[in-house]
Amino acid sequence: MTELQAAPRGKPLNLPRLETRARYRDALTAIVAFVVLASLPLFFDSKALLDFVIRCSAFGLFATSLNLLVGYTGMISFGHGMFFGLGAYSFGLIMQKTGVPIPVAFIATLVLSAVAAAVIGAICVRLKEIYFAFVTLAFQMLIHSTILSWVSLTGGDQGLRGGIPRPVFLGIDLGNQVHLYVASCALLVIGLLLMRQIAQSPFGYTLRMIRDNAARASFVGIDVWRAKLTIFVLAALFASTGGVIMSLFVSGAYPEFAYWTISGEGIFINMLGGVTTFLGPMLGTVLFLILNDTVTRFTEYHGIVLGIVILFFAIGLRKGLMDFAIEWYAARRGRGEQA
Amino acid sequence: MTRTRKPGISRRSSLALMGAGLATLAAPWAARAQAKAIKVGMPTILSGRVAQLGTSSRNAVLLEVERVNATGGLAGRPIEMVIRDSKGQPQEAARVARELVNTDGCELLIDAEASSGAFAVHEVARDLGVLCIHTNSETSSLTADPKQRIPNAFRTARQGVHDSIVGGSYAASIAKAKGLKKWATCSPDYAYGRDTTGEFVLYLKRFAPDVEIISESWPKLFQPDYTEVVTKVLQARPQALYTCLWGGDLTSYIDQANIYALFGQMEVFAVNMADYTALTVVKNLPKGIHSGNRYIKTYPSTPENAAWGDAYKAKYGEYPTNWSWENATAIMLLAEASKKANSADGKKIAEAMRGLTIKSPFGTDGTVTMRADDQTLVGYAIGWGTTIPQEPYVPEVKPGDWKTIFELEAEWKKSNGYS
Repeated sequence: MTELQAAPRGKPLNLPRLETRARYRDALTAIVAFVVLASLPLFFDSKALLDFVIRCSAFGLFATSLNLLVGYTGMISFGHGMFFGLGAYSFGLIMQKTGVPIPVAFIATLVLSAVAAAVIGAICVRLKEIYFAFVTLAFQMLIHSTILSWVSLTGGDQGLRGGIPRPVFLGIDLGNQVHLYVASCALLVIGLLLMRQIAQSPFGYTLRMIRDNAARASFVGIDVWRAKLTIFVLAALFASTGGVIMSLFVSGAYPEFAYWTISGEGIFINMLGGVTTFLGPMLGTVLFLILNDTVTRFTEYHGIVLGIVILFFAIGLRKGLMDFAIEWYAARRGRGEQA
Repeated sequence: MTRTRKPGISRRSSLALMGAGLATLAAPWAARAQAKAIKVGMPTILSGRVAQLGTSSRNAVLLEVERVNATGGLAGRPIEMVIRDSKGQPQEAARVARELVNTDGCELLIDAEASSGAFAVHEVARDLGVLCIHTNSETSSLTADPKQRIPNAFRTARQGVHDSIVGGSYAASIAKAKGLKKWATCSPDYAYGRDTTGEFVLYLKRFAPDVEIISESWPKLFQPDYTEVVTKVLQARPQALYTCLWGGDLTSYIDQANIYALFGQMEVFAVNMADYTALTVVKNLPKGIHSGNRYIKTYPSTPENAAWGDAYKAKYGEYPTNWSWENATAIMLLAEASKKANSADGKKIAEAMRGLTIKSPFGTDGTVTMRADDQTLVGYAIGWGTTIPQEPYVPEVKPGDWKTIFELEAEWKKSNGYS
């Protein structure tokens, strides 16, 4: 069976039973994670910690959604950052121009991102490997250039100025840092849970099969194009949610959010954390932001430090940290069983 | 088999590493306990293509802080600068600014960011209510647009529209005297380039209505090869050329245009030429390029200004930049405002700073003023002159007239719906 081949670590799977149990486990983990995160402000009086987790939410959603493409489907997108930027700009513009309540603007942003992703994806997902990577990059630069040149709408390279209004809804005031923090945590946890469901669903296994052998998937009767397009659009939605969180954090949107460097950071995070586990990119995000924040505190030559770190992961470990940890753990347990 | 030591870091050495890490993190707290220093945070760009913006800003700030601290600091509290790199990314600028205030305990912010980063820090200042002085963003709307305005944010940089008014009137007087009717423009393709060129042309035509723009080129920012735009300008055969290219772009442009002997064929107005970043880097600086002053130690031609430029050069081995004087002014203003308020409290300093006039080496008449109604700097040295190939590079600068600037600025604000 193909599902067996595609299963992690090659262990046989009893799908239906495992699925329901795993689903409960995932939901429970999510609830516990949210409760722990949401109660942090009660114990720690550090605004920097809250800022850190808010940024983790934005980049974590972005990087994990990129991993749905890179790790699960084998589609190396170099342009995923465009949806991060699109999310930030759509949300910011809707809030500035229309003054609708925040949830409405959020939903509208998701709809806009989905439409954009469907159009761009329809063109890109037919292509393979390097061609896919480059065409996504091209679309990213197209969106970036549009943001730069459409000055009357986007403010050009100065970005969306004047702050994003954050009217209170349902008693939630996103202008308040703690409220924004809890909302970001909620979005992060819900986003991760949804992505986990996608990854563990039959559709998720279809994606792994496409990654491993697209021709075979197609012979089995899977519409590869449609499956790829679906995951491209879904991933875009989560990336765009990350963009919304970032725009709320900085109270603006800037062309840099849609620049290729954001996509590059996404890839970098995935390399740090590892692409073969679901939480790898999330760990990568935490690692990346800690590295970034501490290194820039001490030196302006952070590029060289980050470069050495990535070389260490790419050449030294040959995998991301999460992959390494899991393999190390498995090897240790294996040794224990032998003894 | 006996257990051998596993490869990699041992538990003991990891503990030692963690301990060392903690000690490094704790060091700032130990330092803080010794003196009641007032921490001033400064996000800026210290890496990448425009790292010179950050380094020359930092140099100037540190030079001035040394002086202020020697005379008692801010109301008796010595200034301690905490300067961090934002890499020119607005989200990093916002993050760094928040961290400086929330974690490092900075009570004041010097925002030495460029363009979009400045707006990001502006939002942080709005959010946290901390006193913030923008020192590098010359985008007019940052202070001119009432929607942007907050009581705790000030600007000690030039303002785009001031430059355009002075440039336009100077260029028009030369155009009339020499009969320059056909003009070309060549400016970098981004907001600064487009806006500045547009405003310059607006005021040029206002003072010299029969001027005609016959060619426009928009090279990309940081473009390495200008052959195409140089030949385009030459083919159009204009009598004068305006450009707001700056820094490395301007010097590459001049070096490449020299090959085509462009400067002999037309009058060139390069607003950003008279800055040491460009003057000292160009291989063969042509004679007679018209330029606005950015920073030059011979204008204003006062002993104070020359002394300031020399002191900077003595300390850092290079001349200051336009960014340097803008940042130095921020510290000078802080010091004077704090003296006036007799306090180091941000709110009281802000109150004292509104409308404050201080003695300054960079003022047209030896003073600069923080205008009260839009909290931006006025009265700074602004003028145009022509280049010569060696020091002092721009021997004579024709000063702009602040009365005209104020009149036209008010008109410009009205036409943009800013007042």
